[in-house]
Amino acid sequence: MFFESFTDVVPSFFGMLNQGPLTLTLFLHTFIVLPMFWIYASEKKRLNK
Amino acid sequence: MAQENLSVWTSIPFWRRSAAWVTGFATILLIWLTFDTMGQISMGTDADLQQRVTKRVPAATVINYHIEYKMSEKRGHEVPVIGKKEPFFGKEWSPKEAAALLHLGKLTSQAKNCMNCHTLLGNGAYFAPDLTKAWLDPAWQKGGALQPMTGKSTVEEAMSEFLMHPSQYPTHARMMPDLKITADEAKGLVAFLKHMSSIDTNGFPRNFSKTVDQFKTGGTNAH
Amino acid sequence: MLTSIKTNHLTSSGQKLGMMYFRVAMVLFGAQLLMGLIAAIQFLYPGFLFELFDFSVARMVHINALVVWMLYAMIGSVYYMLSEETEHAGVAMGLGKLAFWVLTLAVTVVVLVYIFIQIGPGKESTIWLINEGREYLEAPRWADIGIVVVVLTFYWNVFATYMAGKKTGIMTVMVANLMALAGLYLAGMFFTDNISMDQYWWWWVIHLWVEATWEVFVGTLAAYALIKIIGARREVVEMWLWIEVLMLFGSGILGLGHHYFWIGTPEYWWEIGALFSALEPVPLIAMFVHVLYDWGKEQGGSGARETVKNNPAMAWLVTNAFGNFLGAGIWGFFHTLPQVNIYTHGTQFTAAHGHLAFFGAYATILVGMMYVGLQGAYGVKEMKSTFNSKMAIFLITFGVVGMTVALTIAGYEQVLVERAELGGGWNAFFTAQDLPWYIQAQLWRTIMGVVTLVGFVYLVIDLLTIGKKAQQAEA
Repeated sequence: MFFESFTDVVPSFFGMLNQGPLTLTLFLHTFIVLPMFWIYASEKKRLNK
Repeated sequence: MAQENLSVWTSIPFWRRSAAWVTGFATILLIWLTFDTMGQISMGTDADLQQRVTKRVPAATVINYHIEYKMSEKRGHEVPVIGKKEPFFGKEWSPKEAAALLHLGKLTSQAKNCMNCHTLLGNGAYFAPDLTKAWLDPAWQKGGALQPMTGKSTVEEAMSEFLMHPSQYPTHARMMPDLKITADEAKGLVAFLKHMSSIDTNGFPRNFSKTVDQFKTGGTNAH
Repeated sequence: MLTSIKTNHLTSSGQKLGMMYFRVAMVLFGAQLLMGLIAAIQFLYPGFLFELFDFSVARMVHINALVVWMLYAMIGSVYYMLSEETEHAGVAMGLGKLAFWVLTLAVTVVVLVYIFIQIGPGKESTIWLINEGREYLEAPRWADIGIVVVVLTFYWNVFATYMAGKKTGIMTVMVANLMALAGLYLAGMFFTDNISMDQYWWWWVIHLWVEATWEVFVGTLAAYALIKIIGARREVVEMWLWIEVLMLFGSGILGLGHHYFWIGTPEYWWEIGALFSALEPVPLIAMFVHVLYDWGKEQGGSGARETVKNNPAMAWLVTNAFGNFLGAGIWGFFHTLPQVNIYTHGTQFTAAHGHLAFFGAYATILVGMMYVGLQGAYGVKEMKSTFNSKMAIFLITFGVVGMTVALTIAGYEQVLVERAELGGGWNAFFTAQDLPWYIQAQLWRTIMGVVTLVGFVYLVIDLLTIGKKAQQAEA
């Protein structure tokens, strides 16, 4: 199975995300990096003006 | 206008805004994670123990139970297993008494500066053995090397005797100094160690539960 | 450095105060090395000072002197750069001077109590008056409160001066970062019976200091020093500073998770700790590239050598770029993944990392800042390295790298024999401690410790004399 059954003692939001290879950390990294595309685009717009 | 002046990659405001976003969001995540973890590592209650509810950090009354450290198929590492009741210093401790004893023990562990020779949960100094699962150490059990040395017949009595007069029971050229630990403080420290051994440390230290027999034969399974 | 008390070219009271902090920092640095040497000898000869001055005491003073000398040198550096960056004489500097004396008195009392009283009974009074018994945060509670008051005074000096003066990017980062640095100390000022809870918050202070706010602090110092020493362009330096803040906090804040693998905290910290802390070396590479690139660029032009205005400071700054990357980055990454850390956690491996990281990331740049301070105090246009400066930097760096290598070998042996082979525990621990490879490594660590101490003596002599020599050379 790609997704494992829950192994930790207490189920929690972060524990749920932590049920496959690197799922939790990939989720958090993506969440942090994505808005930077928007920051990049808005800076580009500001510089072009 | 020169093209490179337009590059976002060399724009200070871009990096400043990105730094602010990443720092702010990481901080919020850390605070959120902290709330989640706090809920999971706060001490359980005596009722949890009676109803066999597994807590990462059990109540102080865990000292009334037999504790083992066993491989869990599901978790993929060893976990503490709380078993049947057993007397601790010859009696069963009420929740109030147990909490007071653990409090004395934790306070003594700080007052005597244990952490600047030993490691607790793996943190501290590296001059003396790790104490995370010291309560479960085969050396302190019946048939181990340390228990008969003190002339006592239970783990808790042997440990507290050692703690009160460590330099009378040398186990190595590197000895524990006499820290003027009183009988009560020693009881507290042993309760603190027993409680710590019941904490779910995600399998640290790994492969700890070697039997006394394995130690006697030089730590291998050879016959 | 001593004569600079009298013959002082510094006009700003903030800079004078900075020099006072530097002097105490050097005394504590010396104390740190002596205590480390005692502790190292006790590994080889366990009877040395047994029940008089035990390992726990030597080790406690060793790591406390380390933290406190670095905080002193950090505060000194901030006071030194404050008036130059803000172009303002400084707000309430008299109060800052009073705080210096209060702090120094408190530190003296705390150290004397550590050395002569050492431990107390298992009562609340012990953690209030003698020592709190939590590694690095041993300072008794009364001193904690005192430190908070002094740091608030220091922060008021910095913040009010910043608000009244020019607001450079460097000072903006400094002011914001110092607030986080000071505020985090509060997370270590409580007692709990729950050892997991205890260590959870303990790491908030230790990790978020050493692997987040202190690193950003170093980035800010490097930015200031590069402008000052080699005349790097402010726009370039400040852009790099924001990139460093982004990457240091982006990896360092959640990198805290690598301390939450085994202390009773949930399993999800494995992934968070592993992957965020695995990125922690990235900003250190960036800082390394940035310092060396700027240096190369400034040296590359015509009339190359004249551009470095303070040779010893620059030498320490470059050592910082290497040391931070190697000690904090590489040696940290070695054992940051839980798959490795389950065996290395709590072994000499950690000690190896600790030695090279604290030296490489912090000691180096702070010593560099002392040279910058001396240049100002003696009003020297160009500060050249003396024989003593070269001996100091060579011997100290060689000694610390030597100790690190020795401890790494001891750590490997301990990890494989005590942990992997024997599975931890009392017998496993002493079996590993008695193997010849481990003992040889401890012997080499002690020898390299002596080398470091000799280098330190050269450093002190140099700091005391280099200013006057440079002044005479220019006269």
